[in-house]
Amino acid sequence: MKMTEKDKRVFETAQQARIHTPLCLLVLILTLGIAMTSVAAPKKMATSQPENCALCHGKEKALPAGHNDIKKMNYEGCKKCHIDTLRLGGKLPGGHIHQLSGVSCEKCHGKVKKQTEVPMKQCVTCHNPEKLKEKTAKVKPENPHTSPHYGTGLDCNACHRQHGKSENFCAQCHKFNFVVP
Amino acid sequence: MSEDEKKPKNPSRRAFLKSTGGAAAIAGIALGGLAVNPKETAAALNPMPKKWDETYDVVIIGSGFAGLAAAIEAKNAGATVTVIEKMFVHGGNSIINGGDFSAAGTKMQKEAGIQDSADIMYNDMMKTGLYLNHPGLAKTVAEQSNSALEWCQSLGARFAKVGFHGGHSVKRAHQTINASGSEVVNKLFDKVNALGIKVQTRTKLVRFVSDKGGRIVGIEVRTGYKFPDEKSGKTAYIKARKAVVLTSGGFSQDLALRQIEDPRLTDKFGSTNQPGATGEALLAACMAGAMDLQMDWIQLGPWTSPDEKGFGHVPLFCERLVGYGPMINPKTGKRFFKETGNRKERADAIILIGNPVIIMGDSYAVPKQVFPNALQKGMEAGAIKKFDTLEDLAKNYNIPFEAFTAEIAKWNSFVEKKKDADLDCMIFQDAKPTVTPPFYAARLWPKVHHTMGGLVIDNNAQVMGFDLKPVKGLYAAGEVSGGVHGAVRLGGVAMADCIVFGRIAGKNAAKEKSQI
Repeated sequence: MKMTEKDKRVFETAQQARIHTPLCLLVLILTLGIAMTSVAAPKKMATSQPENCALCHGKEKALPAGHNDIKKMNYEGCKKCHIDTLRLGGKLPGGHIHQLSGVSCEKCHGKVKKQTEVPMKQCVTCHNPEKLKEKTAKVKPENPHTSPHYGTGLDCNACHRQHGKSENFCAQCHKFNFVVP
Repeated sequence: MSEDEKKPKNPSRRAFLKSTGGAAAIAGIALGGLAVNPKETAAALNPMPKKWDETYDVVIIGSGFAGLAAAIEAKNAGATVTVIEKMFVHGGNSIINGGDFSAAGTKMQKEAGIQDSADIMYNDMMKTGLYLNHPGLAKTVAEQSNSALEWCQSLGARFAKVGFHGGHSVKRAHQTINASGSEVVNKLFDKVNALGIKVQTRTKLVRFVSDKGGRIVGIEVRTGYKFPDEKSGKTAYIKARKAVVLTSGGFSQDLALRQIEDPRLTDKFGSTNQPGATGEALLAACMAGAMDLQMDWIQLGPWTSPDEKGFGHVPLFCERLVGYGPMINPKTGKRFFKETGNRKERADAIILIGNPVIIMGDSYAVPKQVFPNALQKGMEAGAIKKFDTLEDLAKNYNIPFEAFTAEIAKWNSFVEKKKDADLDCMIFQDAKPTVTPPFYAARLWPKVHHTMGGLVIDNNAQVMGFDLKPVKGLYAAGEVSGGVHGAVRLGGVAMADCIVFGRIAGKNAAKEKSQI
């Protein structure tokens, strides 16, 4: 499993603690605590449904305390509250937004026993690259859906992740502060 | 096969360095007269896989200019071909390059009234390269630069105009219509796809597989690799019936390797390169018996800006202005180095000053010379600034105003005479004194740009080994090879080098006898 930034920090702290023995126990407890929460990572269930958090997340609370009941809710329903600073784009994994919009796992992955990565040609059956380019034409400092390097042909997966945090691929070389949904 | 051999070794940098040390030691033994052939030893250390997952005549590593050119030529010569690329996308550094293709004696030069020849280009390359260039390689690039340019044009790549780069004696940098190497890469890529060549991205070379005689017969890769996670992906083996062509680029982003070769190049210096420009494929070739040369000649671009990331827009601003506008040290208000000097001279001069310097131009030179999009984007990023007066400019960069205005007046007198009595900057015939407001300026601080050293190749792109004999079945082209540029690569000659030697490597790889 890949170390998260948080894990790394704890790990580095633990390394230093070898010298500072009195800190050792505290750090150990912290490390264990984090290790235990990371065990409870959600399962990817082919049968998942948007309103059934527990199916994938188990006993872990997926929604914050006091969150509205999301039974029978779709993405349009979420957006009634999630506007402005509360907006979900870029925070909620893309797979959830797909689910909430009625796009089930198998609509992209197909009816298969073992689900594999979804190639771009599947994405473009719904998301037309030329239309996306028009839609984001006014985004500053650059239109994220076209570039002198790849035109509209850059693989969607370069930035957009469905089961993890999306990535600002352009930021490898550019100072573009895109919020990537 | 022992348990150890079955498991793919994690190709960590430490392991690589250890093994290269090992390879060098083996080479040492060989030169010491013991009957040990380094390539045979390499073969012994690199076991043959039990089965090959895929088989092609020619396997190409890297999908930049050189790799794609090699793929097209190998396929056109009748070979079955695949291209592997470790990154998520094709194109490597080539797809982010500035799109300047240096070529001599071209149709575009003739139309622009520029007198040039392969000999003049060769002499420029050698002079700037401090005559450390391997003459045969430099000559090959100069002589075939025009046909390489025409070949790209025949595949649909469009070039807009011929510009100048420091160190050349004439204008010979043919700029693509979008001022990016992507114009060429994507036309080559379209051709590769049209020819049905499989390009496998996220597929990383782990090691070369040699037979008992030391011939390269295939490669071990990791498929589904996610840069830079060395544990990602699955092991697979690809057989090359005829040859492997290595076009994996340079190592400007490889902090560890570049500091071994040039300890000054710490993380204080950024790089213009894409993050995947690391040296593990080059080192893997060394471990399979290939020899390296001139690895410590690492070029810094003197035209990059500390006010934007990576290559950015300022290089396209700066290089179009040299010979039209002055370069100023803001501490003194004075010029400090020949603006049209080569990359190494200029980068060294800026590093010696120790702080960023200024390149500037007026409203005659800038609109005439600078690609409009580069100017606009550079200004939006805040890396290029516009000033109504010289006083505003001086104030912004804390330049002592009196010394500065005196220096500008002196520069303008040189421009009138077309002769720089102070620093011998080449002043172009159509240059005019820097007097027309508004004025444009940008700060410059060098970034690691190109690694001149690399694998030893002959004029046929055949890689040579530590025994000074060919490493059979292995060709290399582009930045991973060494010797073409000597100490300093001239601007725009990387494109020429990659296309010329990529094509040569592809053709010769396809000509090899099939090892079934």
